[in-house]
Amino acid sequence: MATAAPSRRVGLRYPVLARRFKITAGTAALVIAALYVLAPIYWLVIASSKSATSLFSSATFLPAKQILWGANLHSLFTYGGGYFKWWLINSIIYAVVTATLATAVSTMCGYGLAKYRFKMRGAVFGLIVGSLMIPATALVVPLFLLEHAVGLTNTYQGVILPLLVYPFGVYFMSIYCADAVPDVLMDSSRIDGAGEARILTKIARPLLMPGMVTLFLLSFIGTWNNYFLPLVLLGSENRFPLTVGLSAWASDLNQPGAGQPLYPEVIIGSLISVLPMLILFPFLQKYVARGLSFGAVAGE
Amino acid sequence: MTVPFLALFALFFAGPLIYSIVLSLRSPLTGGFAGLLNYRTVIGNAEFWSGVQRMAYFGAVQVSVMIGLAILLAMFLDSPYCKGKRFFALIYFLPYAVPGVIAAIMWGFLLEPDLNGALSIPAKLGLTSGAVNPLDYRLALYAIMLIVTWEFTGYNMTILLTSLTNVPRQALEAAKIDGASELSIAWRIKLPLIRRTVLFIVILSIIGTLQLFNEPVILNDIASIGSSYTPNQIIYNTAFSFGNEQLAAAQSVVLAAITIVATTAFFGLVRRHVMPRTSNRTVA
Repeated sequence: MATAAPSRRVGLRYPVLARRFKITAGTAALVIAALYVLAPIYWLVIASSKSATSLFSSATFLPAKQILWGANLHSLFTYGGGYFKWWLINSIIYAVVTATLATAVSTMCGYGLAKYRFKMRGAVFGLIVGSLMIPATALVVPLFLLEHAVGLTNTYQGVILPLLVYPFGVYFMSIYCADAVPDVLMDSSRIDGAGEARILTKIARPLLMPGMVTLFLLSFIGTWNNYFLPLVLLGSENRFPLTVGLSAWASDLNQPGAGQPLYPEVIIGSLISVLPMLILFPFLQKYVARGLSFGAVAGE
Repeated sequence: MTVPFLALFALFFAGPLIYSIVLSLRSPLTGGFAGLLNYRTVIGNAEFWSGVQRMAYFGAVQVSVMIGLAILLAMFLDSPYCKGKRFFALIYFLPYAVPGVIAAIMWGFLLEPDLNGALSIPAKLGLTSGAVNPLDYRLALYAIMLIVTWEFTGYNMTILLTSLTNVPRQALEAAKIDGASELSIAWRIKLPLIRRTVLFIVILSIIGTLQLFNEPVILNDIASIGSSYTPNQIIYNTAFSFGNEQLAAAQSVVLAAITIVATTAFFGLVRRHVMPRTSNRTVA
């Protein structure tokens, strides 16, 4: 470019300026979109350090004069007999147990569909794809009645068991297995005398690990964020996950006679329930993104 | 290997689904078989249909804006004009890690005039008579749109971006050599190549819209926007506030049917543009 003839320099300059302008304008648009995403999270961090009175009197987006994280956290964990601690523990139990078991169940089923030919194989596939179309609502009311009849409502397993049915996970794993585990490898293991169970746990499992991590994360986030199912199935506060517990506190904000509104507690409680995942997200993003894009990209 | 999944599927998916249909055919009063009685009640229920109508409007506006925005952001991030692609992609994806309930609590407080001083600026300038209240009954639907757009634009953008990175580079190089501008490459080459992904996320968004629940419930807690704003809220109230499980079952079967009809109709509408042409018409 530097050796271009002087007569052409004017012509060359314009595209350079135009390009620079486009980069600036584009970046500005991206920054505005990023502010839209970050503003409420920033506000949550700032507001979680404020007292109830200063929430209503201080500037919304400016840090508090007095940082009251300690006092707010103390109040969060002790209010009403310390339920919040249980909500936090429950959310961890629901998410960890569901994600672990759902990954195991989906991987086994996906592996079975990908690697074995059996009679009902087509029917099982049809069932899985069809079930993706059914909205959760159609299941929740009858699920409550059925679980109520057998005493599963208000229990951990009552929430966890329905969440183990993860049709997308099976679909994802069946395609992942088909690519990741070569048939030749399975055959040679058979010749070496390995049983089918041993092939899955010793030979296939290490190859399937990245896919299982993705599935675990999707199921974990989905369970952690779930609200409708536990809201319907749980009645007593000591079984609530964070989402249901915090919404119960939020519903008292506007109730006359519900006592002192819990603004600082709801705000710092919300922060506690998103902070761990937000901090880990940069490291997990890659796995999660791959899983989400799967259904869409597989069809291209 | 498939047995554990199928057993769980039968007990916690197929079972409840069938039970839902059986329940919807029973009388709320006697529990005996009542034919289509509950379905007639649903058809005559103005509240339910106004909820469905509200979601249709919501879907038309919010899904278009969100998908448009997601395409725009993904195209920007995929273009040579973008600096810090990985950083922005991460930021936009963050709300996926935030539960809908928490997103609604954050935004609910931020849109509450008592808590956000910025909402009284127009009044101070004499533009409005009082503070702007995005959570009053008239504006609440748009407040929910703002929240849902915040939650899912990055999610959709992430799916699109993965799809865009799979676009064959040769096609783009060829267009560049032919002198196509970035804009026309995005519009004429990239967009047509990711149209199936766009279809996929639109269908997911339609299903999601018809099931809207968390955000209106939380906003109603914070600002009393009404407890029968969406069909899902109405079903929840029918079953658990009024104890009419039979009618709630009929309502949820109808909502499932609406979901299937809406997604199939949308699919049929755009199929011509999205699926590869099989026409063997010869060019004159």
